[in-house]
Amino acid sequence: MTEPYAVPVPKGYRVGVWEVREPIATGAFGSVYAARRAGDAPGRGEGRSRPHAGEPELPRTAALKFLPTGTATPRRLNHLRELIEREVELYRRLRHPRLVRMYETLTVDDPDRPELDGATVLVLERAQGSLSALLTATPRPAAGPALLAQICEGLAQLHGAGWVHGDLKPANVLLMEDGSVRLADFNMAAELEGTHAYTPAFSTPDYTPPELLWTEIGERGRRIRPSADVWAFGVLAHLVLTDSFPLPGATPTARRDAAAAYARGTDELRLSPDLPEAWREIVRGCLTRTHTDRITTDALLRRVEAATGTGHLPFRLPRLRPPRHRLRRLSLAAAAAAIATAALAYGIGVRGDDAPGGGSGGSGATANVSAAAYGAAELRTDRGVPPAYRLLIVETAHDCDQKDVTPVLIAAMLKVESDFDPDLADPANDEYGIARWTPRVLRWWMNEDGTPGETVPHPPFPPAESIPAMGRYLCWIAPRLHEELPGDRRVLIAAAYRRSYRTVNAAGGVPPDVRAYADRVAHYLKEYAPPGKR
Amino acid sequence: MYSIIVVPPPTTEDERNRPQIRLAPGERLTFGRSAHDNDLRIAHDGVSRRAGEITAQGAFWILSNLSREQTYVVENPEGAGEHVKVAPGRLDAPIPFEFSRIVLPAAGDLLPLEVWAPRHDYLSGTGGLDGATTAPAFSVDRTKRYFAVLAALCEPRLRGTPHAPLPTVDQVADRLRPTWPAASRTSVQWNIDYLAVKLRLKPGPESADPGPRLNGKKESLVSLALRFDLVREDDLAVLAAPPGRVTR
Repeated sequence: MTEPYAVPVPKGYRVGVWEVREPIATGAFGSVYAARRAGDAPGRGEGRSRPHAGEPELPRTAALKFLPTGTATPRRLNHLRELIEREVELYRRLRHPRLVRMYETLTVDDPDRPELDGATVLVLERAQGSLSALLTATPRPAAGPALLAQICEGLAQLHGAGWVHGDLKPANVLLMEDGSVRLADFNMAAELEGTHAYTPAFSTPDYTPPELLWTEIGERGRRIRPSADVWAFGVLAHLVLTDSFPLPGATPTARRDAAAAYARGTDELRLSPDLPEAWREIVRGCLTRTHTDRITTDALLRRVEAATGTGHLPFRLPRLRPPRHRLRRLSLAAAAAAIATAALAYGIGVRGDDAPGGGSGGSGATANVSAAAYGAAELRTDRGVPPAYRLLIVETAHDCDQKDVTPVLIAAMLKVESDFDPDLADPANDEYGIARWTPRVLRWWMNEDGTPGETVPHPPFPPAESIPAMGRYLCWIAPRLHEELPGDRRVLIAAAYRRSYRTVNAAGGVPPDVRAYADRVAHYLKEYAPPGKR
Repeated sequence: MYSIIVVPPPTTEDERNRPQIRLAPGERLTFGRSAHDNDLRIAHDGVSRRAGEITAQGAFWILSNLSREQTYVVENPEGAGEHVKVAPGRLDAPIPFEFSRIVLPAAGDLLPLEVWAPRHDYLSGTGGLDGATTAPAFSVDRTKRYFAVLAALCEPRLRGTPHAPLPTVDQVADRLRPTWPAASRTSVQWNIDYLAVKLRLKPGPESADPGPRLNGKKESLVSLALRFDLVREDDLAVLAAPPGRVTR
């Protein structure tokens, strides 16, 4: 990296509990450094504030974003304060699985270093890299559609919460250690006021929709709508899938003029022939001439999910670089087979290890032999069911006297519903937790004694609640499905969990809209069944 | 989405409020004496029936001289004599100036046709030419007179209190006269109007009312310029040295 850092911070510098390591990136407004937690003795940090009370402990590593807000910094900029306030405000108020997390904010108090004194430091979740770096290394990554689906989820979460990103581009899409995607860099983000928001008058030319080129600017900044992010998503999708911009031109200026000509109707949109057919319509829906014709974020998410074949199920990307201790396990034949079949089933790469979601599952995987082998006679131990949940899954099934409600069925459903992700949050579909409970439905199954909850519960729904509630519901469904329905009754029960037993009875089998879901459940029913058992 | 503005020569009726024709990239405007052959009629016997054509080309524009005999001169009014000559029959000559005056020689008269290119891009402090860098939406040329006018308007607030009253147009003219001897109420007002176009100032609710409008426009310009750091304290140096000239 040869370009100068906007905020030079020496390696080893202490801020709060953090020790600065190597630089990661520098943007238009500040610089980001890697950092590790050096203990709890405070360094040169003051005015420390954590976004949420009762926050879990700080992670071991983080990304520190230094913004030159001090009075003696060479770039004393009025608007910087405002940009930072936007970003901090967003992090304070929004917490979604596809948005980067902020742990705390700090202010550097170090009069001996006037260039750093007064700088604002945002302590953020550490990412492994950015989409921009990935595209530089690997144009047209094979995981492109899966990445885009996650980016789209992030946009839907942001828009659903009433915010506009305002500067969506590859550099602001981060890839995490586990291969999942987070949106970041909310300097331009703004909360919607009715149909539009006001953002500072900055933008990235290649991702700016034509209606914002040379737009009128009021004293509060420029007005933008969520549709501006949708345009940027269209450009980004085209870039990820074809390694080229959708509008022709060798320079940003030429592409800007092409965008203007297209928006005026003097030129047509000519997308790259390399763009897969399913994505052609999606990109067209994003890159419409006017914002009124543009596809809504929710509709976009549905189309993207249809194109990537994920339904509304989460999935994980292959690790960019698996941590060392996992390599040995990945080399095992069984694990390799699991990856291969899973990849076939999804049509995309699936994470190969079996301990997603962190928490207790990860560390317990190898240490706790009894948990890992719990119920081995009824549920295979070598197919990636996280050991942490085996006890819950097996005992929940035993609590039900219906012969079709088995540990294998519950495990297969959890796999398909959430990929065993205890932290799943899907506000767009109102589904949360490892079993994808909708709060108003969970209310009827949350209590052990069968009485409904007094009020609709609020997420998070931990596995210890989600899985037994799921068992109770399945146990209630099983006898209500007509005897004469064709097919595997366990698959019918799973379909009824999604669509209600009445729908399944009326359809005379698996309803067409959950066919893909049912097929995946059927696949994992085979996968998780011990040899010779069903 | 226009990038070029054409201001036709003044006629007696519209001395004060000359119309502006806005062109988006790729759009053309033909001009000449004939009313039905041209988009812009220039009613003067000395002008060719089809005199020329202006095409907006991204942030700049090109000029075709359709006359048989007359050379058109395109001057940069702030460029100390800088100009481009476009010979008869020359097509699509690129014009690089932000402000241009096409001088049409017409039977002893010289008719000025003004063309503004307010979208010229300038390197911003942080970013390069890379389309992936977040860049400010404004691009100002700090050597132009409009920038001096903007600096003079912002000066009291940059030097003094944040709510200092804004200077009047006459005060701005007086402030700029040492470095710009020709500064006058009219020329300062012209630059304020141009800044409103250049910075794409959204007309406020008061714009229908001619009275406080001027004041509202100045107020909006200054608040926009300070909010987005278009003028900083260091930039007040332009008030001491004339733009593009050596102080004596």
